[in-house]
Amino acid sequence: MEDVVMNRKQYLSILGTALLTASSLAAQQPRVLRDPTQSPAALPRPKAAAPQSYPAEEIKVGEQRFGAQCGFCHGRDAAGGESGPDLTRSELVAQDMRGDKIGPLLRAGRPDAGMPSFSLSVSDVDAIVAFLHNQMEKFATLGGGRRTVEPADLATGNAADGKAYFNGAGGCSQCHSLTGDLAGIASRYKGLALLQRMLYPSGRPAPSPAKAIFTLDTGQTVVIAPLVAEDEFSVTVLDPLGARQTFQRGEVQVKIDDPMSAHFTQLGKYTDADMHNLFAYLDTLK
Amino acid sequence: MKNIWFGVVIGAAFVGPAAAQSADPEKLLHPPADAWLTYHGEYNGQRHSRLGQITPQNIAHLEQVWRFQTGQNQAIKASPILSGGVLYLTAPDNLWAIDARTGKELWHYRHPMNDAFHIGHRGAAILKDTVYLTTPDCHLIAFNAKDGKIKWDVLIADSNKGYWSTNAPLIVRNHVLVGVSGDFDNVPGQLKSIDAETGKTQWIFYSTPPPGRADSQADGTTGGQMWTTGTYDPELNLVFVGTGNPTPVLNGAARPGDNPWTCSIVALNPDTGKLVWGFQVSPHDTHDWDANEVPVLADADFGGQPRKLLMQASRNGYFFVLDRTNGKSILTAPFATVNWAKGIDALGRPIPDPAKEPKKDGVLVAPNEGGATNFRPPSFDSKTGFFIVSAVDGYGIYFFKNEHGGYGWAGADYSLAGKSFLRAIDYRSGTIAWDHPLGDGSGTAGVLTTDTGLTISGDNRASVLALRTSDGATLWHANIGRVQNAPITYELDGKQFVIVGGGSSLYAFALR
Repeated sequence: MEDVVMNRKQYLSILGTALLTASSLAAQQPRVLRDPTQSPAALPRPKAAAPQSYPAEEIKVGEQRFGAQCGFCHGRDAAGGESGPDLTRSELVAQDMRGDKIGPLLRAGRPDAGMPSFSLSVSDVDAIVAFLHNQMEKFATLGGGRRTVEPADLATGNAADGKAYFNGAGGCSQCHSLTGDLAGIASRYKGLALLQRMLYPSGRPAPSPAKAIFTLDTGQTVVIAPLVAEDEFSVTVLDPLGARQTFQRGEVQVKIDDPMSAHFTQLGKYTDADMHNLFAYLDTLK
Repeated sequence: MKNIWFGVVIGAAFVGPAAAQSADPEKLLHPPADAWLTYHGEYNGQRHSRLGQITPQNIAHLEQVWRFQTGQNQAIKASPILSGGVLYLTAPDNLWAIDARTGKELWHYRHPMNDAFHIGHRGAAILKDTVYLTTPDCHLIAFNAKDGKIKWDVLIADSNKGYWSTNAPLIVRNHVLVGVSGDFDNVPGQLKSIDAETGKTQWIFYSTPPPGRADSQADGTTGGQMWTTGTYDPELNLVFVGTGNPTPVLNGAARPGDNPWTCSIVALNPDTGKLVWGFQVSPHDTHDWDANEVPVLADADFGGQPRKLLMQASRNGYFFVLDRTNGKSILTAPFATVNWAKGIDALGRPIPDPAKEPKKDGVLVAPNEGGATNFRPPSFDSKTGFFIVSAVDGYGIYFFKNEHGGYGWAGADYSLAGKSFLRAIDYRSGTIAWDHPLGDGSGTAGVLTTDTGLTISGDNRASVLALRTSDGATLWHANIGRVQNAPITYELDGKQFVIVGGGSSLYAFALR
């Protein structure tokens, strides 16, 4: 089947011709960036052995029981307290199936670790179990985890100053539009998620993905997006048919245009006040 | 915790190549060409080889000789050691003896399943005919190097209290120095010296002594774990170790003051465990910036004077040069993007800016939690004077409010973005001689340099790289999977090998 393997330059040339007649690119995939941390705390949370869902009513009761009985040590949100570990990262909770591990532990306690035994009714134990599973799931979907950051915690900026920054020093308006990509952004993202997306929207759908700009021998340029991956040896893009294509840098002339680089540069420019003000402004775009 | 083992040794009891030499203490002081006897290869931590067969001129002819698959999900993060023609490679709960000529397994130890943290493992240690392994659940196990038979098995900490171990022990004479980790619980930082023959504890050094001891601090600090392998100066008879971050991690208010000896470099007498001097690279850390990076030793000129230097490129983004006889600062300079310090104090320590401590509404901090560098070992090339380190320019946001409490992490932080580089720092000035981009995020590969002018490491995708040490230009690469350990090199039967991990396989390269 050797003969069907196209020369990379031929492929680019054909693709270039095709793209000239195409009005837009078909595939718009998010660019996936690696999690940059290697620290112990950046490890993935334990995964629940089996998906479990509990009635909201029961979770609510469990929240109260847990807060009263367990919150002193483990924190009211179960994410760790003065003397008890973070249960949203607990392997035992992850492995628990409808109370088969948590129940016996609650009743027996862990005297050697300073945890007393609890005499709770069956329904209270069930409610605490429901709450813990719900918390574990909630913290896992928050991403990054550890402790909660509530939207109210972030409401310290001045929206008017943020607007001025958006249109002025921040340079945000050069790429973003209030009626376009940012319309209703504060309804789609809230609190920490909005702040993270504002600072560096990695791993989430990017409004404009990175592009690879190829220059053919004829001088024609072929722009392909999204860029899937690159290193100093090769460039991988998703072609309009949704297939990954890898080009060796030695074989083609290619330049990368990554709009995210403006976000990275801006990280070095924000004062904390700029960050809070800009967040306050974006938070008004409901 | 039961002080017995249920381990399994898999493989042959008869081992040909290992029969020959033993790694006696004299060899550890002067390692021969056909050995890599300690985590760093030499006590000075330079990871610089004098072997001359592979050069910038012929490296294009480097090719794979063998490949060993661990069969583990986790990538290889350990530096293997080599003694008597046998490589000893580790992963959490695993130790393999591998024929260094063929890459074939000679024996394999698998530790019983346990619930401790399995974040990674850095390597084994050897003395005479005994190989030492730490386990996630904090055992230190001594094996017969020849056949993997267990000689003894001791506990070095209680994993139920939140300790775990990834540590490649440092052996000095009959002292096996072992450290542990533990960031999620408020536990004291401890380094233990274990008798190489008997497994008995000789001494314990506490970076944050527990209450009730004469040297306890009253500042409420715990932590300061010594989870990486230190270095040793036989003339001064001093061991140098980096200590980790304080706990509670992000809540600085719970532990006022500088919090010694967390985020520090400490010099210890290996015979007594007594602190000779300490230098704190991050006083009152509130960002999880362990100072566990390798304290690299060199005898070199500084300002026209021959000096006994200690150098560290630290996770907090600063490069430190100390006089290792007394721990006094010679140079402090940032080597990556930093925004958390107000300046450098009279002792050469960065002055933390209270405005960049974690806040309820968040602060934007450089570097991020992963740090400007981390566990991946750097290399020092004395010919160029370049200290070559896998560096990150990155940013994170840090949060703390009173409701987060004073236990364990006690706060929240999120890494935003980073760009990583292999970065050559001129030790004489702290200036950056060259930068070789590795990609987005954080690097994972350690660094090896050779006297012939090669720098060997890995990028953030899937390549092992050989660069020219003088300017960082790429001379060779191979697509072996992401490198997450530090490469090593040795000579066997007149052939120089480069050994490096790619994903969960170990690769051997030599000239064709």
